[in-house]
Amino acid sequence: MDAKINSDLLTPLARTGRWWYVTVGASAAVLAAAIGAFVYQVTHGIGVWGLNRPVYWAFDITNFVFWIGISHAGTLISAILRVTGAEWRRPVTRCAEAITVFALMIGGLWPIIHLGRPWLFYWLAPYPNERGLWPNFRSPLLWDFFAINTYLLGSLIYLYLPLIPDLALMRDRAAGFRRRIYRALALGWRGTHLQWDRLERAVRVMAVIIIPVAVSVHTIVSWDFAMAIRPMWHSTMFGPYFVAGAIFSGIAALIIAMAVIRRVFRLEQYLRAVHFNNLGLLLLTMSLIWFYFTFAEYLTTWYGNEPAEMAVFRSKVSGQYAVMFWAMIVCCFIIPAPLLAIKRLRTIAGTVIASALVIIGMWLERLLIIVPTLAHPRLTFNWGDYSPTWVEIMLTAGAVAYFVLLYAIFTKLFPIIAIWEYKEGVRHRAGEGRTTGATDPALVRGD
Amino acid sequence: MMDQTGDFVALFDTRDDAREAIRRLAAGDVPRHAIEVLSAEPLMLEETGEVSTTKSRIPLYAILGSLLGAATAITLTTFTSQSVGLVTGGMPIIAPWPFGIIVFELTALGAMLGTLCRMIYEARLGRAVPPGDYGRHVADGRIVVVVRDDYRDRAASLIDENAA
Repeated sequence: MDAKINSDLLTPLARTGRWWYVTVGASAAVLAAAIGAFVYQVTHGIGVWGLNRPVYWAFDITNFVFWIGISHAGTLISAILRVTGAEWRRPVTRCAEAITVFALMIGGLWPIIHLGRPWLFYWLAPYPNERGLWPNFRSPLLWDFFAINTYLLGSLIYLYLPLIPDLALMRDRAAGFRRRIYRALALGWRGTHLQWDRLERAVRVMAVIIIPVAVSVHTIVSWDFAMAIRPMWHSTMFGPYFVAGAIFSGIAALIIAMAVIRRVFRLEQYLRAVHFNNLGLLLLTMSLIWFYFTFAEYLTTWYGNEPAEMAVFRSKVSGQYAVMFWAMIVCCFIIPAPLLAIKRLRTIAGTVIASALVIIGMWLERLLIIVPTLAHPRLTFNWGDYSPTWVEIMLTAGAVAYFVLLYAIFTKLFPIIAIWEYKEGVRHRAGEGRTTGATDPALVRGD
Repeated sequence: MMDQTGDFVALFDTRDDAREAIRRLAAGDVPRHAIEVLSAEPLMLEETGEVSTTKSRIPLYAILGSLLGAATAITLTTFTSQSVGLVTGGMPIIAPWPFGIIVFELTALGAMLGTLCRMIYEARLGRAVPPGDYGRHVADGRIVVVVRDDYRDRAASLIDENAA
């Protein structure tokens, strides 16, 4: 059984199918085009974006919030499932944890791109300098700097720790340069009972620490808005609203990634219908929570009838942003909720369709939080509008392509399903009294 | 059988067989610290007391790391704010609420780094000379029981090689 699991899960690393090259080629091409757009932006200035008074944040910050939200797919969900002892998590965790790391890397790029002079990004870091430029710790943007970097580093550790035994497994099967890399990364892992004990303890401790960090990250992202006294931003529930939205979009991204991996690497035996069913139920729960938060937020605004708030409210519900607003409601609730609630429809295809809609809906939600509020400041003479330019659209597409590219490369270098965790799960299901095969007194100490 | 280091090594197909061999070794007065078990997945033998490991201090180091992180954050925010040449008009330059956020993040970061470093140290990973690769048999699901050189003969007599 172990040999079969090893073979099935390591085959994608050894054999490269046509679709992998197509995916990598297409995403690299889009990424190259996006880099071209970025170079154009740097050489011509930030004026090539559609930003103008009073809308100074749009696609850039939408993408920032969106990708940080997607990052909640992995580490948070994986940690919650690990802490609660959900056995079905085993084939899912690494797919999820990898999403977190790559989504955070991409999310963290957006504020830097938005700076206009990205080469000065290090000014965000607190360090003494002769110009007297000290970061303002009261700025939520600086809180982002600390929160995102903490979460990124924590997620990398959380991804790396359970990867060590699999790196050792690959080290023993690889040759040449790959072997040297895996050997260095495996840190001399042998699988002694002491090492397993320490690994399990460390992963448990990490899971407990990473959950509040993940919650804090998106709460702090929400405070970028909520700390400003702007119509429909200055809300006490923005923190939980953003965290719920992040987990919602994160689960959707995870389902899509799992469906693609399952198909491309033929891992139907590992990523089974039950995983999509369980994640589909989680997605349904988050859809209901998201709708509850959205309804509560908009109802409170409508009931308060405060003029500045109502201007933004009307622009979304029945004004210039109404199409996007209702598309968001349809994509995040109207279609996914029944699709995921009816058992007959909660198939792999059903959950993937619901997830794709949720991803679109949640991107629109981020845009609708940012742009209508900025376009309708309290003083009406200052109202404005926004439409994106090709540069912003290209950069947005480039971010998606970059994510796909990173993920595709990751699947070629590391097993996308945690091999040892999967084997442990199989044995748990089978019970410990299992006996198979004949004994073999071979000498195997591999010194 | 013996390996190149002189230790007694036995290979088992199932964890029950390995467990039985460990029980036999323990019953034969082979100390638990002299037994090492290698496997491709956690067997949780420590939890049942079948093999022993030294006490882990990972949670303690997580706490120490978090304290160090918190101290770093307090120093960084306070020192930075007091050093800036802004005229504040008598307003306090230390802002406890925003600083609390930075302290929270760096506390968590310290705890995570403390956990990682202590885990690597306690698991004896990252040593300059790696102790050797994980055997291919182990990777394929078999379990290796190693008894240190000092107890080699006793282990060999306790474990019937036909069964091991």
